[in-house]
Amino acid sequence: MKLSNSFPHDSAKKHVSGQSIYIDDMQINAQLLHGKVVYSKQAHAKITAIDFSEAKKLKGVHAILTYKDIPGENQMGPVIHDEPCLAENEVICVGQAIVLIAAESEEIALEAEKLIQISYEPLEAILDLRTAIEKNALLGAPRTMQRGDVVSGLKNSKHIIKGELETGAQEHWYLETHICLSIPGEGNEMTAYSGTQHPSETQAIISEVLGIPKNEVVVEIRRMGGAFGGKETQANWLAAWSSLLARATKRPVKLRLFRDDDQIMTGKRHPYLIDYVVGFDNNGKISALNVTQNADGGCVTDLSFAILERAMLHADNAYFIPDILVTGKAYKTNLPSNTAFRGFGGPQGVAGIESIMDKIARFLKKDAAEVRKINFYGIDKDNITHYGQEVELNRIHLIYDQLMESSDYKNRRLAINEFNAKNEFYKKGLAMTPVKFGISFTTTFLNQAGSLVHVYTDGTVLVNHGGTEMGQGLNTKITQIAALELGIDFDKIKVNATNTSKVANTSATAASAGTDLNGMAVKVAIDSIKKNLSDFLASHFNKENSDEKSKAENIIFQNNEIIDSKNSDRKIAFAQAAQLGYLNQIHLSANGFYKTPNIGWDKATGWGKPFNYYAYGMCVSEVLLDTLTGFYKNLRTDILHDCGDSINDGLDIGQVEGAYIQGVGWCTTEECKRNAKGELLNHSPDTYKIPSVQDIPMDFRTSLLQNVPNPNAIRKSKAVAEPPFMHGLATWLAIKDAVSAVRNHEFEPEFKIPATNEVILLSIEKLRK
Amino acid sequence: MQDKITYILDGKIETIEFNQENKPTNTVLNYLRKTPCHKGVKEGCAEGDCGACTVVLTELNQDNKLLYKAIDSCLVFLPMLQGKQLITVENLASKNGDEENLHPVQDALVKANGSQCGFCTPGIVMSMFSLYKNENNPSKERVEDSLTGNLCRCTGYKPIIEATIQSCVNNGADHFSTDEKKIAEMLLEIKNSSESIEIKTENQQYFQPLTKIEALNLKEKYVDAIVTNGATDVALRVTKRHELLTQIIDLSHVQELKKNVISEYLIKFGAGTSLEDVKQISQKELPALHDLLAVFGSKQIREIGTIGGNIGSSSPISDTLPLLMVYNAEIKLQDAKSDRIVNMNDYVITYRQTAKKPNELITKIIIPRPNPKAQIKFYKISKRKDLDISTASAAFLLLLNGNLVEEIKIAYGGMAAVTKRVIKAENFLIGKPWDRNIIEQAMEIIGAEFTPLSDARSGAEFRTIVSKNLLLKFWNETQI
Repeated sequence: MKLSNSFPHDSAKKHVSGQSIYIDDMQINAQLLHGKVVYSKQAHAKITAIDFSEAKKLKGVHAILTYKDIPGENQMGPVIHDEPCLAENEVICVGQAIVLIAAESEEIALEAEKLIQISYEPLEAILDLRTAIEKNALLGAPRTMQRGDVVSGLKNSKHIIKGELETGAQEHWYLETHICLSIPGEGNEMTAYSGTQHPSETQAIISEVLGIPKNEVVVEIRRMGGAFGGKETQANWLAAWSSLLARATKRPVKLRLFRDDDQIMTGKRHPYLIDYVVGFDNNGKISALNVTQNADGGCVTDLSFAILERAMLHADNAYFIPDILVTGKAYKTNLPSNTAFRGFGGPQGVAGIESIMDKIARFLKKDAAEVRKINFYGIDKDNITHYGQEVELNRIHLIYDQLMESSDYKNRRLAINEFNAKNEFYKKGLAMTPVKFGISFTTTFLNQAGSLVHVYTDGTVLVNHGGTEMGQGLNTKITQIAALELGIDFDKIKVNATNTSKVANTSATAASAGTDLNGMAVKVAIDSIKKNLSDFLASHFNKENSDEKSKAENIIFQNNEIIDSKNSDRKIAFAQAAQLGYLNQIHLSANGFYKTPNIGWDKATGWGKPFNYYAYGMCVSEVLLDTLTGFYKNLRTDILHDCGDSINDGLDIGQVEGAYIQGVGWCTTEECKRNAKGELLNHSPDTYKIPSVQDIPMDFRTSLLQNVPNPNAIRKSKAVAEPPFMHGLATWLAIKDAVSAVRNHEFEPEFKIPATNEVILLSIEKLRK
Repeated sequence: MQDKITYILDGKIETIEFNQENKPTNTVLNYLRKTPCHKGVKEGCAEGDCGACTVVLTELNQDNKLLYKAIDSCLVFLPMLQGKQLITVENLASKNGDEENLHPVQDALVKANGSQCGFCTPGIVMSMFSLYKNENNPSKERVEDSLTGNLCRCTGYKPIIEATIQSCVNNGADHFSTDEKKIAEMLLEIKNSSESIEIKTENQQYFQPLTKIEALNLKEKYVDAIVTNGATDVALRVTKRHELLTQIIDLSHVQELKKNVISEYLIKFGAGTSLEDVKQISQKELPALHDLLAVFGSKQIREIGTIGGNIGSSSPISDTLPLLMVYNAEIKLQDAKSDRIVNMNDYVITYRQTAKKPNELITKIIIPRPNPKAQIKFYKISKRKDLDISTASAAFLLLLNGNLVEEIKIAYGGMAAVTKRVIKAENFLIGKPWDRNIIEQAMEIIGAEFTPLSDARSGAEFRTIVSKNLLLKFWNETQI
């Protein structure tokens, strides 16, 4: 049965009435202290002195800590231990934590901060990616993925284009800034209410910095006010810091970042410089591609290599490229460590190849959609990626045919040409971009999840799982899955706050895989409870009827009842069955475990099957550009996206639209500038501009691809969160198309991400000269 | 004289007293979250850019009818609540015994999937609610205008727009309408017993005069006091720079400063007129000013920010100054004993230095009604079109005689330390034909006039190019 329903978000009523509890809203007793982080004002320097003697005297200050006060390890690197929890003798970026304060109010903590003197001796700093490349400041060894012989492939190509694409940093701008509330218990116990996408890792980091075993640490998260990857590893920081303060003061400590501090201290989407040489024929069919992706990792490793890996795995996007060499390099700069952000390198990888497609089309004076089409992965042939995975259940052709038709692409192209011929100062642009996105963590062992489900004797159900709710509606989908599997009403199910003492050793809620993994783990637990109940009820029915007609395998769960499907008069209400089961000593709780089957690849050779399956989608976007100001209007955008058999249409469309707009922000107005000292200039929404309600398409049409069940995920659905982010590239290339129209598409405009009105206008200025 | 304030919260008259802990410069947001525990009100940025802290203030208009205004509670000092009703997201659902019935705007938002992470949602709900109370069947444009001050990072806004359009159809009917009479009476009762406010704590003085003469006397006595009205700018010194403001004169309750006069020759705005009111008045009277205010801040900001405050801040990136310069507007400066008129073109002297003396207040803005044949335009360049601060801006006034330029005024913001007229380009153009090649020559004069800065908003080269382009854009838009 397909469950395509638009149940609203399970917290929606609480959201709209202000009743949802976020960490900062939790009621805590009067012992609560407020934490504050004092961070580096220098990009790279020796710390010569820290003087907090005056601050310590301030009334209401309870603790001032430096690295010397860390009882455990001074480390919070999630993958590689190269990230001090508090700086020791050297700082490596502006925003790096040095000192922690706990005080009776945020105000006192701020006062204390002003009294702390930190002296520095500046060292040479690398403040941008180009300089890092020049100095070969690598974070680790470069990686390659390849197929065929790119040298001879390029040599035999009819046409060659060389180029470079620069993509910028993007601030997550979750509405709720980083926060953690740590409450000490007896002995070594520490409970942290942390705004984290990865409670198990947050637990591990707290345990490491406090020098206590993991079984003393509980991490809990009910919901986050947005995360988008920004709280995958860097939420650990706040949790480590507030736990250190709670441990030192033996009082609850809440640490939340003010918006500016959050923007200054935390990492962004990785900026990339992508260099390429592409060979193609007269039709635009690509024969060979040599592409190097250079990533700005920031000052420590964090997730940079996993992100680089995903960028490399998406260097092809939806296109078959016979001879291909992808080289990935991550560089070290003296900037806050860049981190996970929706798409996780995918957007940069896809932007590279989409930029190439656009250039090929302009070079050949062809419509870019046509060039894309002839390069798509085939259904039966030309369907092996550059890392050896077969592109199964390829939906890209189906989507292309439907969307080109429904968006009326061809006629609008003609109308735009006509408009542009008549208008000097206003130009219209149109672009189509596809996305094919691999679903699974590329670090294969992470593809596992756990759950713990309880059925209570009143027939209500409590579901625990390892995923975290950050707005994406994971708990809503989990509720739907549980309700459907148990055949009971939605309102009988409650999903608990995520808690490491309920479900242990979990993976981050990331890689779009939250529902795939946790939904399946919940189903496994429910199957186990259903088996217990079915066995019991079969014998119960037989006992009542004094026969052996009922069999456990015929027991079904539906309409709040448990029924013998072969003897439909034998049935019992679900709640009644729970009570009866309890009285008959039947286990009504179960845990569940799931790991994604049939995946695995060799990271060293870059070959194998890293992904469970692919998600697909496509976007057509049209803009109107004022060539005198660089302002553009998003006239119409059509998106067709593949969510398999959607578990919840409303939530999935919300994910698609929201991701697209976030992608448009990355491509247009969201810019992180730094001064010569490495300080971030755009550190508040005053100067950092995410899309507003005025920036969405005037005509915005989003549809989900119909009748495309996905055999590889829970209830035949498909992961959604990240793939639609890349639809923003259609709007970016539509703007470029409009810029290019200034000189009738005869010249290749300079362009990059983000295409701010500054980039647009400078590009037009060059074209006009 | 009183040292505490009285307002309505949760339908009841409440009093707030001030001390070292509860400072008069405490923001409504911080107070709400801490004391009455209205934790539905969220802090997203503490600078009026995200709207997560949006609440609604109701006050009586001249006819003692209730007006509902959405504002950013992070930018409002507590004493500004004096004599008003404060409505937060917690107050919207109506209670029927144990049962809670969502307000129509809340219900529509739930049904449209308008919330994801939910953190911006309370603010969005309050912006929707104020529109619900003020307009029936609003156009998409009006809906978007009402939501511009609310950032959402999850949804892409479409469901929020849809929910707003769907719900604002009941002529504002809800449980607040039922209670309106009672609330109006309560507000009247507070009003009738209220006096000027003077709050003194150990290290702060906060004055809220009720009359202009009181305000002028206070400014005479406390020349260094910070003058504020909506506090949309001043509050940032508290929320962002964590300054202790020691003396404040809050003009928000001086009704005389909110009076406007529209006559045959002049449009006079009281300096305390909110930018939203100026926007509404100018729609008919001064369309260029209306266009300017349409992309000025957000509705929440314009509801409390005032035209006098904007001029008073005399920022080089002020949006209003260049336009007021080409309007040849004047401002009235007043001290306790006398007043004088200063032309806008003589008002700003150097960076943030103006002709206003420390003991003076701006009391009026006088705009001579422009020649109906004059073409006037204002252009704002910013990274994001809405709710952004200008990277550069320009105002133009043109009067043609046939195809010859009879009069032209050109003023720029964001291009120098002060907002500035480009007299050289004006003189060059006067008497010349309004032709493309003449314009291109004038563009070069403008380019040579400024040496703009590079900053967080843009590089210098962009500012130079766009400042020239804006003249071309104006020329293009004045072609018939």
